[in-house]
Amino acid sequence: MFQRSRKSLTVLAAAALIVAAASGLAGQGRGAAPGGRGGAPPPPPPTGRAAARIDLTGYWVALVTEDWRHRMFTPPKGDYDSVPLNPAGRGRADMWDPAKDEAAGEQCRAYGAAGIMRMPTRLHITWQDDTTLKVETDAGSQTRTFTFGPSQGPGGDWQGVSVASWDYPQPPVPAQNFGRGRGGGLPPGGAMKVVTTSMRPGYVRKNGLPYSANAVLTEYFDRFDVPDGESLLVVVQELVDPENFASPYWTSSHFRRQPDATGWKPTPCSAR
Amino acid sequence: MSALKRVGLLAAFCGVALLSVRLVGQGPQPAAGDAGAPATPPAPAIDLTGYWSPVVHEDAMERGAGSELADYGGFALNEAGRLWALSYDPSRVTLRHHQCDAYVAPYQMRAIGNFRVWEERDPYNQRLVAVHVWGQTTEGHRVIWMDGRPHPAPWAPHTFRGFSTGRFVGNALVVHTTHMKQGWLRRNGTPQSDQATVTDFFVRHGDHLTNITVVNDPVFLSEPEVRSNDYARQPVDHGAWLYACDDGEQILDRPDDFVPHYLFGKQPYAREFSQKYKLPLMASLAGQASVYPEFLERATKATESDGVALLQPSPGRANEVSKAASPEPKDGDIHTFKVRDNVFMLVGDGANIAVQAGDQGAFVIDTGAGKLTDKIVAAIQRLTPKPIQFIANTSFHADHVGGNARMAEAGADLSLPGSFFANVGGSLGAVTGLITRVGENATMIAHNNVMVRLQGANAPAASIPSDTFLEDRRRKFYNGESVEMFYMPNAVTDGDSIVHFRRADVIVAGDLFTTTQYPFIDVKNGGTVQGLIRALNDILKRTVFEHEEDGGTLVIPGHGYVSNEHEVLEYRDMVVIVRDRVQAMLNGSATLAQVKAARLTADYDTRYGVNSGQWTTEMFVEAVYQTLKPAAAPAAPAKPAPAQRK
Repeated sequence: MFQRSRKSLTVLAAAALIVAAASGLAGQGRGAAPGGRGGAPPPPPPTGRAAARIDLTGYWVALVTEDWRHRMFTPPKGDYDSVPLNPAGRGRADMWDPAKDEAAGEQCRAYGAAGIMRMPTRLHITWQDDTTLKVETDAGSQTRTFTFGPSQGPGGDWQGVSVASWDYPQPPVPAQNFGRGRGGGLPPGGAMKVVTTSMRPGYVRKNGLPYSANAVLTEYFDRFDVPDGESLLVVVQELVDPENFASPYWTSSHFRRQPDATGWKPTPCSAR
Repeated sequence: MSALKRVGLLAAFCGVALLSVRLVGQGPQPAAGDAGAPATPPAPAIDLTGYWSPVVHEDAMERGAGSELADYGGFALNEAGRLWALSYDPSRVTLRHHQCDAYVAPYQMRAIGNFRVWEERDPYNQRLVAVHVWGQTTEGHRVIWMDGRPHPAPWAPHTFRGFSTGRFVGNALVVHTTHMKQGWLRRNGTPQSDQATVTDFFVRHGDHLTNITVVNDPVFLSEPEVRSNDYARQPVDHGAWLYACDDGEQILDRPDDFVPHYLFGKQPYAREFSQKYKLPLMASLAGQASVYPEFLERATKATESDGVALLQPSPGRANEVSKAASPEPKDGDIHTFKVRDNVFMLVGDGANIAVQAGDQGAFVIDTGAGKLTDKIVAAIQRLTPKPIQFIANTSFHADHVGGNARMAEAGADLSLPGSFFANVGGSLGAVTGLITRVGENATMIAHNNVMVRLQGANAPAASIPSDTFLEDRRRKFYNGESVEMFYMPNAVTDGDSIVHFRRADVIVAGDLFTTTQYPFIDVKNGGTVQGLIRALNDILKRTVFEHEEDGGTLVIPGHGYVSNEHEVLEYRDMVVIVRDRVQAMLNGSATLAQVKAARLTADYDTRYGVNSGQWTTEMFVEAVYQTLKPAAAPAAPAKPAPAQRK
């Protein structure tokens, strides 16, 4: 009887191992590299454009519904309301002198990557090529380029160096949840993540609230389609700059999709 | 270690391994409803559960200490919204019933204070039933239903947080909210109406949660208002989740009919914001235009008179009309809504009908317009097999008594046959023509003036209440519940009453309060604005809220959706404010034509305004004017001299 029981347990253990192994194999179906060991080499990853699940291109207009006074108009010197500057940052802000900026040819300090998305502006977003998304603004006539892949250029200008990637839902939502009625394909949603470094020192607001050359700006571009048909672009920003800020500076800015270029009016930078 | 032990451990290990593989493998699942798919819901695209602290790096002053007065920049307010905000005096929150006003859903998300989010799952199949969002400030509890349930009927009650349903779309939770109360878009009086709906998007990037709210308010906004809020995930429970509020006496000796507000053009702080920041006066008053980039150029060219023009209604314009959706069905059917316990509201035939149903029978308040009475009777018979025993009328107006005769005929007052009163009644009936078939019909109750007015209008005898009262209170104990009827003299007519079901704590207000129109002050039949304000305050003295101005005593309006004291309060405020504006013009000897031309209801017209039909905005203003004008006394009330009291 004892022998018989031991045999039974052994069989049970073996069966469990087999089932476990089988389940493991089955479980790694999705996400495993096609072909596997000994098969054809995996295809190259899709380009940023090909991998896009959301369409950010087109004309977008800023909806200045938050920090309205600070964004629509130039706030007075020393007005840091809402912005977590540290003492050093406040000290630099207190030295803001637009005339000095103009004299130095630095009228665009508030139009750099960490400030431009908060401006009352329109955006024109296009694919420059399969790996580069271009964002133009009419306020200050700025151009930002987001590269999918290795960073490009030395930076040091107002817009710095921006590296983009797609940030899709985690955990991945199975395609079969979205296939019906949508013609199959990839599920909608997801965000574009952009990390920008090597910016020329600038302002997060026109009244001289500073960020440094060492600042790191992380942005998420989300598109939301409201049931009534309008589309919104929301840009969530996190600016990390210990030289000027006591904590990461978080904002989220909204844009409404426009059918065309109506209202597009490029203007030069203004320090005032 | 014995062989047996080794084998046992191996088996246990394999079992654990097997279980682990299953747990790892089960993340994504086919959608419910797929042929042959297990009935397991898909994993949500994002996990919102946990503790979140708002990151107030935008509009910190507004969200913290409080926003500045007359700062409406970036809000797409229409004229009504702007004027409503300019009329608002922040000391209104010292009024007892406003002290515990909660925040409407989009403002709740904007409030400082921490948030806790948790999931409610079906214990049997682990399907996601709801996502709960608890805001520390005002104990704001949003329930986002994820189980596909429909939104309530248009005549269902509103709450500050409203009724929300959600679904995962891509990397976002998309939430649709309806049935909110009137509240704030900003704490300086920038209003959000009870007609607003909201679309929320919740999206998470690591430990950074962003909530985007899109408020669509046809009453106060020219276009949807888009704002966003950011939160940082917290690893631990902050602990403090309560926000107790109980109203009290903040300022003594104020009259009941005092509501702090500013007359049009008289907001004393309207220039404070613009002067402080050296902005044009019009800048923060410009509404929709102020949202867009080109506004800066326009604002820099603005003159002082551009701003001054925005402080009061635009002259020479027709009154706006209501942008509110009608909560009354027009499908030719009667819809039954359970209000609380055994009290129901029937809608679909004119004025709302209340029914208290139980073992004794049905007690019906008002009978509608009389076009669908058979359906109403059938609906009542589904609530109780016993007959309709009592019918009470809150008014003599046709849409409240239209079904009296038919409904009384369908009922029976079984307490009367065989009684002493049956014999007396039969004898009296021969004389009066009112009590002819004792007990065979329902007994109809109303204030005596309802009977007088109906008789004066030559209404059929069978539709006229015969069980009338003269004093301020009539009471019954019916279906195990105290039922009180209170007379409200010279309000919309001279025969108005409210009915209070005390156990269910439901008040039937008749046309003293509606959610659909300006009050129908019937001056010819004894209605007065002062009497109406007294009546509304009387209702407010009987109500109790459950939590932060939500719930508690429920109020069935003459028309519109089931309410509680907050809707009555906003309605009372409106009547008082319009009265004060008319009175101010009367004090200046304004004529009726001048009063009408002043558009004194401009901030309420997109909610209640009507320019044609039985009861228009102009008629309401005229009624207020007529009852305030010193030379014109209201029509002599039919009420006899009040009883002497010691």
